[in-house]
Amino acid sequence: MQFEVLAKCHTTRARVCRMKLAHGVTMLPTFMPVATQAAIKGLTPQQVESLGITLILNNTYHLNLRPGIKVLDEAGGAHKFQGWNRNLLTDSGGFQLVSLSKFTTITEEGALFASPFTGEPTMLTPEESISIQHSIGADIIMQLDDVVSSLTVGPRVGEAMERSVRWLDRCIEQHERSGRKDVQNLFAIVQGGLDPVLRDKCLDQMIERKDRVAGYAIGGLSGGEEKGNSLIKQCADRLPVDRPRYSMGIGFAEDLLVCVALGVDMADCVFPTRTARFGVALTFGGPLNLKLGKHTRSFEPIDKDCPCPTCTSGMSRAMLHHIVTIETAGAHAVTQHNLVFQAQIMGRARDAIIEGRFPDYLRTFFRGYFGDKGYPEWCVNALRSVGVDLLDGREVPVIPGSGAKWEYSDAA
Amino acid sequence: MGQQDQPEELVMRFPAFSFSLVATASAFASSSRPKFGGRLGKIILKRQHPLTEDGSAEGSDPPVKQTTEHIIDLDTPNFLSTTSRGVVPHLSRDHCNSMSALRWVHIPFESFLDHTPPVPTLQCGPNPLHTFLGFSTSKQLLSLSLRDPLDAREMPPNGNTYVSANCIRGVRKVTLADWHKYTLATRPDLVFALSDIPFTPLPHSQKRITKSIERSAGWLAEFLRPHKTVTNSAPTHPLNILVQMPGGTSAAAREAFARGLTETLHDREAEAVKPLRCLDDGVAGYAFDLVTLRAGPGPADDPVINPSANQLDAPTEVAEIKEASTLLQDSNLLAGIPTPSTVCAQELITVAAPPLSASALSTLLRSSLAPLPPTKPRLVTGSCSPHEVLELIRDVGVDVFDSGWAVSAASAGVALDFVFPVPSEGLNAKNGRLRLSGRRDLGHNIYDTEYAHDFARLAGSFAASSDKSTALPVCPCFACSPPSSSSHILHSSVDEQSYSPGGEGDLGKAKATIQPPVTRAYVHHLLHTHEMSAHTLLVAHNLAVLDAFFAGVRRVLSHQTADGASEGQTALPLPDEITRFLDAYDRNMLVFDEAKHAWLDVDRARGKGRLAREKGKESDGGSIEGSQ
Ligand SMILES: [Zn+2]
Ligand SMILES: [Zn+2]
Repeated sequence: MQFEVLAKCHTTRARVCRMKLAHGVTMLPTFMPVATQAAIKGLTPQQVESLGITLILNNTYHLNLRPGIKVLDEAGGAHKFQGWNRNLLTDSGGFQLVSLSKFTTITEEGALFASPFTGEPTMLTPEESISIQHSIGADIIMQLDDVVSSLTVGPRVGEAMERSVRWLDRCIEQHERSGRKDVQNLFAIVQGGLDPVLRDKCLDQMIERKDRVAGYAIGGLSGGEEKGNSLIKQCADRLPVDRPRYSMGIGFAEDLLVCVALGVDMADCVFPTRTARFGVALTFGGPLNLKLGKHTRSFEPIDKDCPCPTCTSGMSRAMLHHIVTIETAGAHAVTQHNLVFQAQIMGRARDAIIEGRFPDYLRTFFRGYFGDKGYPEWCVNALRSVGVDLLDGREVPVIPGSGAKWEYSDAA
Repeated sequence: MGQQDQPEELVMRFPAFSFSLVATASAFASSSRPKFGGRLGKIILKRQHPLTEDGSAEGSDPPVKQTTEHIIDLDTPNFLSTTSRGVVPHLSRDHCNSMSALRWVHIPFESFLDHTPPVPTLQCGPNPLHTFLGFSTSKQLLSLSLRDPLDAREMPPNGNTYVSANCIRGVRKVTLADWHKYTLATRPDLVFALSDIPFTPLPHSQKRITKSIERSAGWLAEFLRPHKTVTNSAPTHPLNILVQMPGGTSAAAREAFARGLTETLHDREAEAVKPLRCLDDGVAGYAFDLVTLRAGPGPADDPVINPSANQLDAPTEVAEIKEASTLLQDSNLLAGIPTPSTVCAQELITVAAPPLSASALSTLLRSSLAPLPPTKPRLVTGSCSPHEVLELIRDVGVDVFDSGWAVSAASAGVALDFVFPVPSEGLNAKNGRLRLSGRRDLGHNIYDTEYAHDFARLAGSFAASSDKSTALPVCPCFACSPPSSSSHILHSSVDEQSYSPGGEGDLGKAKATIQPPVTRAYVHHLLHTHEMSAHTLLVAHNLAVLDAFFAGVRRVLSHQTADGASEGQTALPLPDEITRFLDAYDRNMLVFDEAKHAWLDVDRARGKGRLAREKGKESDGGSIEGSQ
């Protein structure tokens, strides 16, 4: 990996970086669409690439079940298997193992679970997770970590953090043994739950290993909450400047921009593609639920300034209203738009950081996206912590919790 | 703009449709049926647009300076692409406009009847239907019918002045006046006149059949009344009208209707459609609806295929949305919304339609065509196999078919793999499974585990554009010959670095070349994980195979002419090539049934199996570390 910081925001911790991997250059900060089963819902790899997307995510847990490692090896890796020529990231598979199977137990050796096919007890060790990820062949691979829910409290959180550090060492060893260090890059995952002291301990130990890891992920947190964001800030502040920082599972527009302001370079989420299948188009004026009756006779596109194939083809909200949630082509159209919307948020952030107007961009975005519906309080607070006052003299309600109610249905 | 220009402009907006016979089999092979038999034709659609001074085609405020002429031509025999709710199933707009196989697209209007007035009728611009649906006026011919010609479900009876049509909110009565209004408002290139085709339980009485042909003739006459929408102009007949030939399975009734079309009209009737001499003068072509000719309308809901089972993503979708409920406000309201189904029940039923004997079908079609001039295009909807298509070309001289069965195959997970004419070296295992009959499958049931490790391209009968040395024809579809992404949306000023030389990593060089084809193993994986991309790739591929099939038919037909022979072509006459085809490929299409069952099995596994239960709890991935 070649990693270079090109520009920094004069106020916040936001930065623009150039990350060169075996499958090309990805400009950061960026949002990574999720291709769980080696396909972005209904789109071809060429379509995804033409949207200006250079880095996507595959899920190790799913690909290990189907098509399985044997097929991936025969195909020559996941890039060739799915026809994706650009950069690819895989997770460790650990999270799905814990969240999808209630029988999974964590031991020092690894995660013990019942095979979904045979019911046989099966062990996923850190070494095995890495070698599965070697078969997949992603440009960025993740360590296996000991995942606990952010709601967990007590000694289990500290235990999981310490185990994640020990597993990182085993992952590093396995990765270095493989001789694939020049083409695949291992990321560590900072754990420690909602406890700032544990987070600091984890950071200390993982930063010590900096020379053997290519980047860092911030795990165990979600966007949209006050506490989580102060921890993301804590992590981003301390992580080495010459390593990319990846915030896992973040995808709402406001979360993305707050994370970028806190110094995060990469994020992923299924939200934009999933919500597209339910007929919700994301726009700079807030989400549009195309199922709503008010779009029945609307002949304007989702966003007339949007460069996506759906909007540039002039596809009207009325036509989308006619097909979303019924025809797969409706899902494809909104998925294309939503992926471009996510890329636009991050692209505009890159330009704004380079041009020294990122704080303005944040204020403009929130004004357009939330209007007078009110700003989420945690966003206001999180951005104040990096020197940006979203309100800046404006009279906007500040709403505790996640903020504005979107038009998700006729009843809303 | 001068006053007299106005009507001219209006007329101009309806394109000129013409059909010419290039050659008929009877011209070079002696035949006892000169009116019937394989024939080569050409459909030409000329579309004129008023152009404003700056060259933009819309808006009439700046004076009209010139016109631009879009010519779409289509060699026949050929096919039209069927649509569902106005879209080619599983294809996005950018795909539709990049596919050479999509030249004639047919739009059933009934799905738009859920709003009054139907929304496409409110679309502005010179080509409202193209604009609303996103088809290209320079590439695609659009035809419009009220009913979906592939929908055989039982319907309430038609009335004297209306047809019962179906939309998502139930049955709608569409009057002749409504249909006229919708047609004028949407301006399709071709429109099906309303015919009284009963979708009520069989058998139909003689009286009902008589009523059907009387109504159909009356409705056509009504549809042919000159338009009064423009003042100060001579009455005109600007619409290009196709007539769906009624008469059911009664050859006598079919012939009677056809004779009626050619009868010279008198008095009041003649006055009504002036200056037409007879109804046939106002007709651009003849359409045959095979779905109603087969077993007749079936029950509204197929008992075997439960429509709710067709919601491919339903189990996981609902689970997903629940999981996200802390993040997505009001998401519980979303959970009730159905998710896109990748296979609709009707498509599966179409595949399952039992074939009526080919000769019986040909006889019925010839009864309709016998009294009519041979110079107009003949269109058949609802054909169920290439075998039937070939027989209808050979025995009747049908010019245009539809893609329904090939799209159904894609929805069921079948990658088509057949060519016409059959290669002189014959077929081999790469082309599809050999059945006990000694005939090969028309394609591959990609669900089958035998494809899990098969890294070949979808069809053995076609090469991929990345294949260097091969005598096989290239399948141009975006699954077999994926185009390299030539343009990328740039989201910031530094994004170019991702696309500059050296910015593309070790694939920098490979980028310049053509992409390798999608493999059977990959599509197998997509089918088993119920990824929508599987159907997208298969529809594109199957339409390309169908396109190549019709090109092959035209090639064989043209070889029979003196020109073809002089090129040293060795193809046999069409009837002989058809016999070779019928002997080579399985017409029972067992592979389709197997795919359909495999599809239901995967669905059951996802719905009830152990893996599925686990999956029910999953949110579909991501590094969802944090989003719990
Ligand atoms: Zn868009
Ligand atoms: Zn193909």
